[in-house]
Amino acid sequence: MHSPMEQFEIKRLLDLRIGSLDASYTNSALWMTIAVVLATLLFVYGMRQRALVPGRLQAVAELGYEFVAGMVRDNVGNAGKKYFPFILTLFVFILFCNVLGLVPYSFTPTSHIIVTFSMAIVVFIGVTIIGFARHGLHFLEFFVPKGVPAWLLVILVPIEVISYFVRPFSLSIRLFANMLAGHTMLKVFGGFVVMLGILAGWAPLAFIVALTGLELIIAFLQAYVFTILTCLYLNDAIHMSH
Amino acid sequence: MRIPVYSAFAALAVLGASGAAHAAADGGMPQLNFHDFAPQIVWLVIAFAVLYFVMSKAAIPAISGTLEKRQGKIQGDLDAAEKASEETRALVTAYEKRLSDAREQARRLQRERSEADSAAATARLAELGQRLGAKIDEAEKRIAGQRSQVLEGIEDMAHDIAADVYAKLAGQPADKAALGAKVALAKGGR
Repeated sequence: MHSPMEQFEIKRLLDLRIGSLDASYTNSALWMTIAVVLATLLFVYGMRQRALVPGRLQAVAELGYEFVAGMVRDNVGNAGKKYFPFILTLFVFILFCNVLGLVPYSFTPTSHIIVTFSMAIVVFIGVTIIGFARHGLHFLEFFVPKGVPAWLLVILVPIEVISYFVRPFSLSIRLFANMLAGHTMLKVFGGFVVMLGILAGWAPLAFIVALTGLELIIAFLQAYVFTILTCLYLNDAIHMSH
Repeated sequence: MRIPVYSAFAALAVLGASGAAHAAADGGMPQLNFHDFAPQIVWLVIAFAVLYFVMSKAAIPAISGTLEKRQGKIQGDLDAAEKASEETRALVTAYEKRLSDAREQARRLQRERSEADSAAATARLAELGQRLGAKIDEAEKRIAGQRSQVLEGIEDMAHDIAADVYAKLAGQPADKAALGAKVALAKGGR
């Protein structure tokens, strides 16, 4: 029996190097590419008619657009419009990676901490830059809760600072761990099906079917959570509201 | 987030149990293999940049344009409907005004007509009255003339009758002049 972790193995399909940088085209890159191509198909091919009464693909594309636009509008407000393309891209990219990862024999780029952490750190640094660009050094007041006695600030300010710097980790580990756990569970129970054979294998098989449905929800939910937290962080930076 | 968290714990527990044997051989989690970090980051950046480009240059303008167009079309249709309804209301108002004007005019004409009619009738009646009055006067005059004639005739007749009566009684013709005086005396004595 294979290890349930084998599915997360990075395989180099094409060895590439940029100077000393290893830029090999891996199975992860392949599935990122597939995700980008499918997303492009949905959003560009699906929108080709720009019909007033949308067809199926166009309705889906518009739905995704409106979903994220609503998220940005509700959580960031008008100031968030500038960052909408980035947030939409983030949502679509994570959603497609997550959902495509459920295809048998596929690979889930978002099940790797380095991928999720890279996105989270970009969000974190970007949001911090936006905060300082908008408020200058006043952005540091973000760490000082208002209307709190001075002696309490001694405790609260470090907590605020720590919770701020924990954001990229919680953001990336949440997505990574959910993908990792879901796929591992599927693999482990898949192993049980093989192990228990035709007599008792039905039980774990039924469980896998249910779990696949759950994983589909989680694939969407985690893309949503990542996106909405990005919106909330952006809102913190723009409006400095707790 | 409860279910994903629990599933994570469950998976990690299972991992701990079943993956322990493989861990040594596989070198732990593939996620922690630092040699694989660089290619993943490189291709993440490339893929994300391409998708960002596609989204910001093609998809978002297309979708927002379509949504705006649809909103504009809906708003335009609503406006047109509103305008049409207003026009209809204006037409109905104008129609009602014209109808009431026409009714008013008809009433006025009728009144004028009846007034004119009654004036003409009065005039005709007066004229008729005059004419009739004139005829009556003429007739009265004629009657009066005839009466006086008749009365004169009666006097002559009286003379004749008196002469006849005298002739019968006296057996001789009467003196016309004396008889005439007597008749006149009798007439005056009446």
